[in-house]
Amino acid sequence: MASKANHHPSAARQRFGSDWRAGRITAWLTTVDHKRVGLLYIWTTLGFFAVGGVLALLMRAQLATPNENFLTRGSYNQVLTIHGTTMIFLVIVPILAGFGNFLVPLMIGARDMAFPRLNALSYWLFLLGGIVLLSSFWAGHGAAQGGWTSYVPLSTLHMPGHGEDFWILGLHILSISSLVGAINFIVTIHNMRTSGMTWTRIPLFIWAILTYAWLLVIVLPTLSAGLTMMLLDRQWGTHFFDPVHGGSPILYQHVFWFFGHPEVYIMILPAMGIISEIIPVFARKPIFGYKAVAYSTVGIAFFSLLVWAHHMFSTGLPVGLDSFFMLSSMVIAVPTGVKIFNWLATLWRGNISFDTPMLWSLGFIGVFTLGGLSGIFLAAFPIDWQLTDTYFVVAHLHYVLFGGSMFAVFAGLYYWWPKMFGRLLDERLGKLHFALVLIGFNVTFLPQHFLGLLGMPRRVYTYRPGGIWEVYNVISTVGSFLMAVGMLVFVLNVVITARSGRRASNDPWLADTLEWYTTSPPPAWNFDRLPYISNARPLRDVRRRLEAERWK
Amino acid sequence: MTRGSIFKLFAYAVVAGAITTAVAVFIPWLPTAATRQADRMWFSIWFAEIIAIVVFAVVAAALIYCVVEFRVKPGDTSDGPPTHGHTMLEIIWTAIPTVIVIAITIVAAIVIHDNGKAGTNPLVIKVVTQQFTYQFEYPNGKTFNILRLPKDRNVKLDLSSKDVIHSFWVPAFGQKTDAVPGITTSIVITPTRTGYYPIICTQLCGLGHALMRSEAIVLESTEYDSWYASAGEAPAAAAGGTDGKSVYTAAGCGACHVFTAGGSAGTIGSSLDNLSVDAAKAGEELNDFIRSSITDPDTFLAPGYAKGVMPSTYKSSISGAQLDSLVQYLAENTK
Repeated sequence: MASKANHHPSAARQRFGSDWRAGRITAWLTTVDHKRVGLLYIWTTLGFFAVGGVLALLMRAQLATPNENFLTRGSYNQVLTIHGTTMIFLVIVPILAGFGNFLVPLMIGARDMAFPRLNALSYWLFLLGGIVLLSSFWAGHGAAQGGWTSYVPLSTLHMPGHGEDFWILGLHILSISSLVGAINFIVTIHNMRTSGMTWTRIPLFIWAILTYAWLLVIVLPTLSAGLTMMLLDRQWGTHFFDPVHGGSPILYQHVFWFFGHPEVYIMILPAMGIISEIIPVFARKPIFGYKAVAYSTVGIAFFSLLVWAHHMFSTGLPVGLDSFFMLSSMVIAVPTGVKIFNWLATLWRGNISFDTPMLWSLGFIGVFTLGGLSGIFLAAFPIDWQLTDTYFVVAHLHYVLFGGSMFAVFAGLYYWWPKMFGRLLDERLGKLHFALVLIGFNVTFLPQHFLGLLGMPRRVYTYRPGGIWEVYNVISTVGSFLMAVGMLVFVLNVVITARSGRRASNDPWLADTLEWYTTSPPPAWNFDRLPYISNARPLRDVRRRLEAERWK
Repeated sequence: MTRGSIFKLFAYAVVAGAITTAVAVFIPWLPTAATRQADRMWFSIWFAEIIAIVVFAVVAAALIYCVVEFRVKPGDTSDGPPTHGHTMLEIIWTAIPTVIVIAITIVAAIVIHDNGKAGTNPLVIKVVTQQFTYQFEYPNGKTFNILRLPKDRNVKLDLSSKDVIHSFWVPAFGQKTDAVPGITTSIVITPTRTGYYPIICTQLCGLGHALMRSEAIVLESTEYDSWYASAGEAPAAAAGGTDGKSVYTAAGCGACHVFTAGGSAGTIGSSLDNLSVDAAKAGEELNDFIRSSITDPDTFLAPGYAKGVMPSTYKSSISGAQLDSLVQYLAENTK
């Protein structure tokens, strides 16, 4: 909890004014303020996003034409491994934690997270984990080369050098960071809601973060166990996964995907929470079916724990087992559909304005629907036999993780930027950014579906010349560079508006939730006082009360 | 809802559905099926495809309709109608998708059940994978690097791996299964069209993954039978053949190495055309150099190559006599 000194600005200044910790840089290095920790997360993840993006462009450059010699086979495998691992563990999961850190206390009317120091620890562990992971490139024989799934025995018995060990240690540190953060979210949301903020009045983003945190707590230990076994196999001669000595490569896949599939929902549920916050504000209506959206979040999380082996349909599991996992995977489509239909119903008969956050959200609905539908194909296991480990899977996962999670992340950045920094991002540049990325995204990944169906396996550094493969591949590469240009527009937007951006009022979007009740950016103590919360849209109540007083 | 808005919504759905259908029909995205199993598979893909097009058209129509019809007038910040939900609608859009996904599940289960049937007397071929080659072992014990199959006969492929996880995929056959070390997996195929088809490894298996390819040739059953009867001309390592060139081919050396005499141009490993020079550099007698490079690949590393790239399994998989003739063959044909 915030100390008493934090309640009053002059007292806080007296206490910290001459302290070394108040310096411009040291204040950030020593901060335990949830907003600053959140911003540290967001800036760091955006840096890693640039790294992962450059790695992706290297791969697309190599694949632009057949038999290209831009990247060698060894470095291509390193690049694909670190690209995937970076985007998942250093970008999407932590940037959602960044949003959570900044927003959770503000949205539930608390002064900080339940454990501010633990919060700072989880950020610094995240940074350390990221550095360890990326330093894999400087290890003997280069970085890890087993893909983000790092299947055994390739990555235990057949991967010399220490790149893989850096990969394992990096992920270990990141797991601890996420676990610590998740426990903090759970405790905060359960205990620190302001008066009147009942479970059916918390913002839907809070439902999503709570579910995200529980999923992390449930599945991360499994990942840690798998990584530990892998490290022991590599360095201390154990045989968990070595078939020659009675170990099982399939065991690793069970362990990995028991973590790995819920991980997908860990990456998408808070993104959906962001969309559920933004759409009602710009449609000027309450969310349609609050309870349906909240319960579908929990429903998706529950089923996500029962579907892991659908990543293993091609490993020869018994048909009965496969059928169970097919059905459970299919069932997840239902709560996902419920969300999409409720968002559409929220739009229905609204007064829709098309500010940049709303554009990204509408883009999310369109693109994520495509990604969800291609997921149905992968869940049906005879079809999966044809499609798994091909470019179809690459296309599908980018439709849900880029077109889904990252579109929502950008929607959230444009939406909460004024609250974070007190200035709005430029709308025209924002719309250009959106247009370039939306077009570039579809140009990049739509043809990859066709490539996969026609026979292009994933994770290859070259392919044979001839036929329509070349056309699809060059189109895909052009699209990826178009997206890169879009991202440069975003950087330009951030740089330009940092000095000259329009100043934001407390509530520039006429929003519904508590974070807009305080100043932009909020003071260290978040709120001077808070209204009693009597429904899920407290700020609308405040606005109506003010209007009623004006007409008295 | 007025009649006009229903008509507009329907029109948007038709347009969105037509565009997606055009993409599905006119853009080539499925190879021509070459097995009975692939025919069933394509049926299940199209079944799901049609459902996906309808669902996408509905969502797209609703999204476009909202964007076009409910745009706000400039300066208007008033609220829309305070609709909080509708229980009947929630039930409907939970129930309909549930029915749809169960339908897809049932179709998929039937397809998988039919595709798993190998019949009473299938031709069983063992597929042995290792970095970065396939070997196909026929019931008469002969082994080849190319898979020849008879048309219209059930074939059961038993997959295994000597090192890491590989995969066996022929896109036109509509089946894919991993070859996992320690266990045997299998697939059943019944070829229906003669021709040449690429075999592709889809599971990242190391440096040479992108080049791990082979070929399946489907022959008329009479052609197949005569090939099978006379195929003794190409004996191989596993069959006990000790001819140096056959050992070279059967052990899959050519998948990774350039060797002009052996007709191979693999690029994963070092060239075998200048072994005398390499041996001299290492200060070894040529035959010893070749022998230890095969059995203990990490002893002498060619410049630019890392340890552990070449499989160390040849020590046990090639017999003593075969090794002798392989060494002799390489020594005689290199510079």
